[in-house]
Amino acid sequence: MKRILVVALAIVLVCAAVGLADGVLRITFAWPCKIDPAVGSDQASSSALLNMYDTLVYPDTSGNALAHVATSWEVSDDSLVWTFHLRNDVRFHDGTTLTAEDVKYSMDRLLTTGEGYAFLFLGRVESTAAIDDYTVRFTFSKPFGPFLTTLYRLYILNKDLVEAQTSASGPYGEKGDYGKGFLTDHDAGSGPYTCREFRVEEELVMDKNPSYWMPMDAQAPSEVHFIGTTEAATVRTLLARGELEISDQWQTNEAFAALDQIDGVDVMAMTPGQAFYMMIHNRKAPTDDIHFRKAMAYAMDYQTVVTQIFPGTVQARGPVPQNVPGADPTVFQYTRDLAKAREELALSPYDPDKYPIEIHWVAEVPDEEKICLLFMSNMAEIGIKVKVVKVPWMSVIDEMAQMETSAHIVTVFDSPHFPEAGSLIESRYHSSSAPTWEQNEWLLDPELDALIERSIATVDRTERFALYAQIQHTIVDLCPSIFPFEDVERHAYRSDRIVWPAAEGEVNPIMGYPFAARLIRILP
Amino acid sequence: MSVLKFLIKRLIYSIFVLLGLSVLIFGISRVLPGDPVRMALGARAPQWAVENMRAAMHLDQPLYAQYWYWLSGAVRGDLGQSLVTRRQVSADIAEFFPATLELALFAGIIMAAFGITFGAIAGRYRNRWIDNVIRIFSYIGVVTPSYVFAILFVLLFGYLLRVFPTIGRISGGIVRPPTITGLMTVDSLLSGNFVALGDAFLHLVLPGVSLALGSLAQQARIARASISDNLNKDYIASVRSFGVPERVIMCKYLLKPSLIPTMSILGLDFAGIVANAFLVELIFNWPGFSRYGVNAMLNKDLNAVAAVVMVLGMLFITVNILVDLGVAWLDPRVRLGTERGK
Repeated sequence: MKRILVVALAIVLVCAAVGLADGVLRITFAWPCKIDPAVGSDQASSSALLNMYDTLVYPDTSGNALAHVATSWEVSDDSLVWTFHLRNDVRFHDGTTLTAEDVKYSMDRLLTTGEGYAFLFLGRVESTAAIDDYTVRFTFSKPFGPFLTTLYRLYILNKDLVEAQTSASGPYGEKGDYGKGFLTDHDAGSGPYTCREFRVEEELVMDKNPSYWMPMDAQAPSEVHFIGTTEAATVRTLLARGELEISDQWQTNEAFAALDQIDGVDVMAMTPGQAFYMMIHNRKAPTDDIHFRKAMAYAMDYQTVVTQIFPGTVQARGPVPQNVPGADPTVFQYTRDLAKAREELALSPYDPDKYPIEIHWVAEVPDEEKICLLFMSNMAEIGIKVKVVKVPWMSVIDEMAQMETSAHIVTVFDSPHFPEAGSLIESRYHSSSAPTWEQNEWLLDPELDALIERSIATVDRTERFALYAQIQHTIVDLCPSIFPFEDVERHAYRSDRIVWPAAEGEVNPIMGYPFAARLIRILP
Repeated sequence: MSVLKFLIKRLIYSIFVLLGLSVLIFGISRVLPGDPVRMALGARAPQWAVENMRAAMHLDQPLYAQYWYWLSGAVRGDLGQSLVTRRQVSADIAEFFPATLELALFAGIIMAAFGITFGAIAGRYRNRWIDNVIRIFSYIGVVTPSYVFAILFVLLFGYLLRVFPTIGRISGGIVRPPTITGLMTVDSLLSGNFVALGDAFLHLVLPGVSLALGSLAQQARIARASISDNLNKDYIASVRSFGVPERVIMCKYLLKPSLIPTMSILGLDFAGIVANAFLVELIFNWPGFSRYGVNAMLNKDLNAVAAVVMVLGMLFITVNILVDLGVAWLDPRVRLGTERGK
């Protein structure tokens, strides 16, 4: 019996020692995580990809593109050809050199599969050519101004390795499965970390790349674990035991308050550029009338939202969160004014008694219901009857696919796909997004479409941003949506064990980039 | 009827049950709202990519044709590709099922051993203080969902006392044993990796006990009731009148017949653990089959949903057959359901 106890104690001590291993960074994420650069596009996947792969350019904390694998670049006079000159000292994890062929292969693969972040380049990049070993050229079908910022999502693959691991059978003709089977649980990158093990339902383990081409801080984590859980009790226990350095963002307010009480744990907040929208159907009675929409916008109690329901957030100003490059701080901001709401309602041809409206909220995000109930109460004050309907996300997508089945109002969180106002403006208000979950407004406004397309096509940043500002003013004038708040993303982290730039205010506003492990230091 | 005949008959019935189940789950999964391919590829994926994947999965075919493709693939062991993990569903099940099976076996051993023991003690000493204590704890166990135990155990043994690991099947710094059976403890033992064995066992304790407690309490209540009933039977009074000691009466004459209802419930509870372990697997970040199944349903992962339901169906059928055999062994009057009344 005594011997059994001694063995058991020894095992417990071994486990404890394992938990306190030096140089380990552990982060919890909402799962699943997909580590194929042509598949993953959510937070866990994006965070994993940027740690295992390199990109041509790298964003600074303002979202500006800095040289990375590309040392320089130039754009043709007609803005249709972009040429990038590459470093010659970037090595993949198997020791081979990264060349222009690898960049071309990565872009071609992304465009052929059409998944992941392919939508950023599809219909824009016409062809990619390797001019020589270290020069790559992208040719566009039409000018695309924010191209540099979309390159943060072009993760460069080791062509030879992927081709060697490609299965001949697959849906891509002579390309077989295009390496998808292999890349499901392996990496083929040159990034600061290599994939040691990927257990698809559980955990991704990455090791520091000892021969990374960029200098890395000696205190950068030697191994990084992405753990697939957001369960509150588990996260709290792991943080308290020192077996987790950064929590996921999906903890409740109460959970974050409890985590903040743990010795050595702090809670940080960053603005990821995500906003909450109440998307109003602009082609269905009675919300097709601008006065009816404005009445609702004036009657909404924004202060209660940002102080009581989502404390720590700020009221949104128009369609673009203020920390997204290109957001205009001068656009009109609606505030609660019941007198103005009644004035607008009086101008509407619709009698609110005869036109009750429905607001649909996403069943998987319970906090949305609180806003909807507040909205119902606010609207009752001006005589508008609101029915609050809980709808599963899959059904939301289905009903929003057609104008006839879309609800009067649908609530949703959305964020830019590339770090510029143009991304949100396009995905939220361009006609091309009308049948998707990103637009319930059904604006279908050819003039606005043309303006959006013009802005996206403008290569000069200053000019482009001026057009973004003009569009934001136009959208707010149309009052197609209610903009309750800009979201904050919070994480609990072990401030006694790590130095995390994002927690120090150096927030990179692009999904995944705050989790670049090479920039995080593990304290001795 | 011989055991062999019984088994053949049940296996033939099982084929029809599984076919019916496959038609049912196939139909239900297809009529649920939401486009699974659009969900997998994302809202911004181009339509041609969505169409290509639909074609690759035969979703552009009529429902009967889809069913035929799926059934003929399943017979060959090809369960299709998962939209969530992007791997073959058969590979996913081969990885995740043993994890849950190990958990269920561990929980099953606990619930059988302790449930029957506590039930026997309570039945033997009914209406005494120990019976009352066991009954109170049984009530608590029966009405408390396993995920509540899981959260309590994480907070108590993981957060406060810090004596048990709280996530995964094995600690990160420990060399994992080669996959032989998929059961981490068994593979550790077979490969002689005793550090991994001890660590894997520690990882089993909290989720295993969390899953076992509810069924354990139920077993205890059923065993107690059964023993209490049999205690009043004439044959026990007769045995007692011969002066047979109480311990012998308990072990030789009372326990075996009293286990029949317990055995029936035990089998169903075991299969139920595999099917219902989702929340416990979520809390302990256990890469198991139940969690995989629920994620598949949430993401409308058609091939994975069908495969999970079929595996669960097969598990329930197998367990039921084993339970019937067990009951027949325990009770000589039962002749596998055919010669009754002759």
